[in-house]
Amino acid sequence: MSVVEKEACACGGACEAPEDEEFKPKILAVACNWCTYAGADLAGLNRMNYPADVRMLRVPCSGRINPQYVLEALQKGCDGVLVCGCHPGDCHYVSGNYFTRRRMLVFKRLLEYAGLEPDRFQVRWISGAEAGKFRDTVTDVCAEIKALGPINTGNEEA
Amino acid sequence: MDILKKDKVPGLLDELSKNAHVFVPKTVNQVKKFAPYKSPEPMDLTMVNTTMPPKDLLFPQTQKMYNFGFDVDGKLYVDPIDESAPQVVFGIRSCDVRSVECMDDVFLTKGFVDDFYQPKREKLLMVAIGCTAPAETCFCESMGQDPNNAPSADIQLRDAGECYTVEAHTDKGREALEAWKPFLEQGEAEVTDVHCTLKVDMDGVKEKLDKMFDAPLWDEVSTKCLNCGTCTYECPTCHCFDICQENRMKDGYRFRCWDSCMFSEYTAMAGGHNPRPTKVERVRNRFMHKLDYFEDRYGKELCVGCGRCVADCPVGLDITVLIDQIGAYDVQ
Amino acid sequence: MADIQETVRKRARELLESGEVASFIGWEAGRFPNQTTPFITSDPAQADRLVWNEYCVNTPAKYTLDEKGKGKVGVCVRGCDSRAINRLMSDSQLTRDQVYLLGIPCPGMKDRHTGDVLTKCRECRHHNPVVYDELLGDEVEVPEPEGRWAQVEELEAMSREDRKKYFDDAFTRCIRCYACRDVCPCCTCRECFTDQRREGWLGKQGNLNENRFYGLTRVMHIGDRCIECGECERVCPMDLPLMAINRKVVRDMNDLFGEFEAGMETEEPKEVALGTYKLDDVEEFM
Repeated sequence: MSVVEKEACACGGACEAPEDEEFKPKILAVACNWCTYAGADLAGLNRMNYPADVRMLRVPCSGRINPQYVLEALQKGCDGVLVCGCHPGDCHYVSGNYFTRRRMLVFKRLLEYAGLEPDRFQVRWISGAEAGKFRDTVTDVCAEIKALGPINTGNEEA
Repeated sequence: MDILKKDKVPGLLDELSKNAHVFVPKTVNQVKKFAPYKSPEPMDLTMVNTTMPPKDLLFPQTQKMYNFGFDVDGKLYVDPIDESAPQVVFGIRSCDVRSVECMDDVFLTKGFVDDFYQPKREKLLMVAIGCTAPAETCFCESMGQDPNNAPSADIQLRDAGECYTVEAHTDKGREALEAWKPFLEQGEAEVTDVHCTLKVDMDGVKEKLDKMFDAPLWDEVSTKCLNCGTCTYECPTCHCFDICQENRMKDGYRFRCWDSCMFSEYTAMAGGHNPRPTKVERVRNRFMHKLDYFEDRYGKELCVGCGRCVADCPVGLDITVLIDQIGAYDVQ
Repeated sequence: MADIQETVRKRARELLESGEVASFIGWEAGRFPNQTTPFITSDPAQADRLVWNEYCVNTPAKYTLDEKGKGKVGVCVRGCDSRAINRLMSDSQLTRDQVYLLGIPCPGMKDRHTGDVLTKCRECRHHNPVVYDELLGDEVEVPEPEGRWAQVEELEAMSREDRKKYFDDAFTRCIRCYACRDVCPCCTCRECFTDQRREGWLGKQGNLNENRFYGLTRVMHIGDRCIECGECERVCPMDLPLMAINRKVVRDMNDLFGEFEAGMETEEPKEVALGTYKLDDVEEFM
């Protein structure tokens, strides 16, 4: 709510809900098209419930993910990032997720070294048939990040 | 004459802090800069000069310009932001005082007054301290400055051992000294003039540069430049800025922040053209701006001789060596 | 040292006169005592400006990229510089026949202000050039330094909050001058992500958030290619502990994917950590 809206409202800003409500994290889930995204679709088809805090970003393969994108999400204020792909050995492009595995492992260690809470960046393998795993993963990750609270980027405007 | 005993300085600064933000030289987080007197780190008036220049007080690294958004009626609003407040910079040197004169030329003259610079400038009191030990990289004298005295500072202090001599140069300074009375004494004190060891001859440099736009000298000078932004960010007179915005949905703010002409994309344009595509053009532009173009436009050099770029350039690109080379250059 | 200086001058003059190289990169004296600065020349008559002493702190390797269009480039290389040349060749920025390398064994360079050996030289593991066309002088015997991972381990032993404070303090004082990127032999992208104004990954604001984003992204973009030359840390005007971050990534890759050292080979490098994979790689987070 902008400053002007607050002043215009009769209560002077007291009724503005967001500050009083519980924290709703914003989590970016980067999902590979062939496995995880299909799994998420299946979860939807089966009317499985999972928190709406997750925003999906579909990529052709988890190997496409440049750590820069994860860092961009975190620096713009995402409270957490979840990277998901096919199980190793099942990559649609044969070997993409093998590179993901190495890259994200080194990257995750680097993020924690720099002081980020370990739960804010997580990597999972979720196949196209594992709708339940998708639901469970998202539910767990959202709960973990909710418990951590909003991310502290160091920007007062974040 | 008015003298200020050194042990009275903290008391004076406490008093000044009641009505203004006071900035003094400090080492904060391993960086020598002008930092708030009230912050935890100790003041250090003995450092030769800060690494980061005091231009941040008038021209912050990032400065919000205005908020914008849509109000409840759906109308666009634009709210200029005035972050100015009374400030005192205590311990500024002659070179940096001169840099403020240059910034004043840019932001206050030629028919356009910068709304963000002007209020900060009006509310700034400059208390200069004369240098006692110029660094090997200081060459302000060759650029027309006097390390012992800054004529356009509001108040000038000179180190006389146990105390400072105090003299107001401007009306603003004379008015400010009224508040200093409880801390000043009358007395005699002896000061010694110091001089820079590094000297260059600026005679005729500008006139030569007028004819040197296409000189092959720039190819040689620019080869080792990395095109990083160290010199521009440490330079007290560099004032290039970028304007951008941050917005979320319908609200946001516009801000300006320091930019550097050394970056390759500084002159990149929509469509892909870049009139300064290689470092030759960028290095040439930087030095021409400092030593030629600014003289044309405002009648003074944009380089004040503080020597920060000379000390900190990662590859040792030295403006004083360039000035020597220009002096020796045979312009047909 | 003085002999080598004479040889460097002589060889540079000969190479330029004969036309074998079109330009030559080394160091010359700066204005101040013990100051040196990179020197590039195409003129054999200027060869006497070249110096070789224990204050030649800059690494000249990356300037080959600016000079390569004109013909072969002659370069003075020590351990770090030769690995930087290998790095450039592995990254397809240079071919072996575009450079003529004068190898100089290096005892370690000193800081001209303090007289101390530079941090990057104290930690150096390859004082002798690993690739060269001719070697000027005998190889130096310098014992391998202890504690390659000492700083990383010390930081890892801290609590997450303390570590966060340490790196947040470092990134807060960063002024985003990009000197680290400009001097790094791994950073040769034609358009760096920081210069992509249209995409807008980051702006020019000086704040902790963007500084940290830049710093960590650069490390990951370097990936497994860092040669640990230490130039980034040396040139940083704000004394950021950049090698603490680079070495963390190098150490992790050594631990997880096998020992390797970047920049040691002139031909196509063998198994590089992030460019290959094994079917049974570690998966500690799944």
